Amino acid sequence: MTKKIRQIAIYGKGGIGKSTTTQNLTAGLAENGKGVMIVGCDPKADSTRLLLGGLAQKTVLDTLRETGEEIDLEHIVRDGYRGIRCVESGGPEPGVGCAGRGIITSIGLLERLGAYDEDLDYVFYDVLGDVVCGGFAMPIREGKAREIYIVGSGEMMALYAANNIAKGIQKFATKGKVRLGGIICNSRNVDREYELLRAFSAELGTQLIHFVPRDNIVQHAEIRKKTVIDFAPESKQAGEYRDLAKKIEENENFVIPKPMSTDRLEEILFEFGLMDAVEDYKI
Amino acid sequence: MTEVNQTKKSNTIVHPRYGCAIGAINTVAAIPRGIPIANCGPGCADKQYFMLSFSNGFQGAGYSGGGALPSTNVGENEIVFGGHKKLDDLIKSSLKIMDGDIYVVLTGCSIELIGDDVGAIVKEYQEKGYPVVHAEAAGFKGNNLTGHENVVKAIIDQYVGEYKGRKKKGLINLWFDVPYYHANWRGDSIELKRVLEGAGFKVNVLFGSESGGVSEWKEVPKAQFNLVVSPWVGLEIAKHLETKYKQPFLHVPVIPIGEEATTEFIRELVDFAGIDNKKAEAFISTEAERYYYFLEHFSEFFSEYWFGLPARFVTVGDAAYNLAITKFLTDQIGLIPTKQIITDNTPEKHRQNIQKLFHDISDEFPLDVEFIEDGYVIEEKVRNVDYGSSVPLILGSSWESDVAKEIKGLLIPISTPIVSEVVINRTYVGYHGALTLLEKIYSETVRG
Repeated sequence: MTKKIRQIAIYGKGGIGKSTTTQNLTAGLAENGKGVMIVGCDPKADSTRLLLGGLAQKTVLDTLRETGEEIDLEHIVRDGYRGIRCVESGGPEPGVGCAGRGIITSIGLLERLGAYDEDLDYVFYDVLGDVVCGGFAMPIREGKAREIYIVGSGEMMALYAANNIAKGIQKFATKGKVRLGGIICNSRNVDREYELLRAFSAELGTQLIHFVPRDNIVQHAEIRKKTVIDFAPESKQAGEYRDLAKKIEENENFVIPKPMSTDRLEEILFEFGLMDAVEDYKI
Repeated sequence: MTEVNQTKKSNTIVHPRYGCAIGAINTVAAIPRGIPIANCGPGCADKQYFMLSFSNGFQGAGYSGGGALPSTNVGENEIVFGGHKKLDDLIKSSLKIMDGDIYVVLTGCSIELIGDDVGAIVKEYQEKGYPVVHAEAAGFKGNNLTGHENVVKAIIDQYVGEYKGRKKKGLINLWFDVPYYHANWRGDSIELKRVLEGAGFKVNVLFGSESGGVSEWKEVPKAQFNLVVSPWVGLEIAKHLETKYKQPFLHVPVIPIGEEATTEFIRELVDFAGIDNKKAEAFISTEAERYYYFLEHFSEFFSEYWFGLPARFVTVGDAAYNLAITKFLTDQIGLIPTKQIITDNTPEKHRQNIQKLFHDISDEFPLDVEFIEDGYVIEEKVRNVDYGSSVPLILGSSWESDVAKEIKGLLIPISTPIVSEVVINRTYVGYHGALTLLEKIYSETVRG
């Protein structure tokens, strides 16, 4: 019988730390002997840098542009840390062409070339911050990722974005099998962040699956083009990512989210004191 | 005002009767030495040529267009990465290889969707002095009729340019048939130009054999006024020119067919332009005399042929030909209009006016017109008309040939597509065309 590959999409506001979180948690899964592939769905092509030790990889679309349709998997899939397979969809230059179509093209190509084989336990899609068009929803179309995790933080705009993404998931979920697996908090050290994220997750009808504390070691590892698990395996932060990996591994809490109205979202933010902080905010 | 008669829209259309906006490649090809450049997927432009020219009287392509069409043939690569470079290369090569006076880039759906800045690419050529124009021609924005209007406006804005000089009294810009889509457009242009010149005007016909090409287009801003001879196509152009060049326009919704209508048309024009009417009246009198000479001979046949002449007719076609032919056959020949169907997806805002024009054709038969695009529904309507005891006369497209056979009717092709006839320079309009139309209808009749 064919093994079921868990396909997981990671969404969240731009700059929230989706790529860092995804690479670290997949490093944790790989440590446990899991077969993992990461598909970077961002034209910037920076979803696998920490696993590959740099941005050395040629993207699917670059390869397609230069070589044409006749390409092998080896041209576009590189093995990274502990055999994690790394793919970058890539995209056009900013401002031209259609990046959304690019993602559709590259995921289509991966499927045609048989990238989803039996050695894999997980495929992670690391998707551009805003789901601006159909192309960026490609990873959660029918037959692809069924689990979604949203990376957020206690910052207001991150929660706006997360709520918005939940709206998209709700639309897809009511028609198909895609479900929200939880919120991952990538802490920004704002006031009462944990409580806020717990309340926000509960309002969405999901769980705060893990609270990843802020730790400078992440930056140190990134400068060295490594995941924390690779750079400092004994550090506390490496343990946090291993915990996250374990929780995802064991997660059985999958829901159709219940996105809230903007008023309700602001009420929650207010309740946790954030609105006061916003008024003080000066550029 | 009565409600516009709306048959419930079908979800599907069988028997297409118009092309998409990229079909306006034919508009460019109709300008002498005009070179269309298709910026769309492979097949789009060819389909439009096939539908609007080949399967429409086998009109051919002539100097440009048709099979000799530069096209970016955009594929997945251009969609994902943008088609700027390919288009730029194509314009460069087209300027080198295709010997033309004006080049118009028509951008189709796929490139419009991804938002390539075609204007910026074309502008570089324009700044270097090349006669290159770009026009939006995405099928999701409209059909070949609105595409035609867009292309004309683009040429006016980007090629003809600004003009603040004097107008030439008696010079008319003629906005009339849509080239190739109206299969008789070439003959129609010849006849209408002949009529207008006979009446003392000078005319920019802009398309076809009678056009002076780009030098004539450069004269557009100098014309005294714009003349739109069509129920709706061309009105947008005239309004645009009115704003741009402060040029007034005269809208004549019914193309004149026959002596009475053409004479009235000339007098209306002369009156509007305020030119001396001597030449026009002399022309009218010569034309009328000749017209009735022939009509007199025809009337002997008409009154004495006892073997079944059609009495009731239906029309299926675009608003322009449909309205003009219905009026002529009702007013002048005394046939009875029983079902008039307009198939060109007339914009909603014009429908009520057009319905009124049909309604006012005859006092005896308050005519109703329907706007339908689906061939299945049209066949049903044509089949279920009460033709009385006479032979059914159907003026339509070749799509109506099956139902015409079924009801043992006569089919006279007047609208796209036409695959049973080769059309070269014939016309059914004006003084001469009216007689040709009678010849055509009654030749079919006597053939049985």
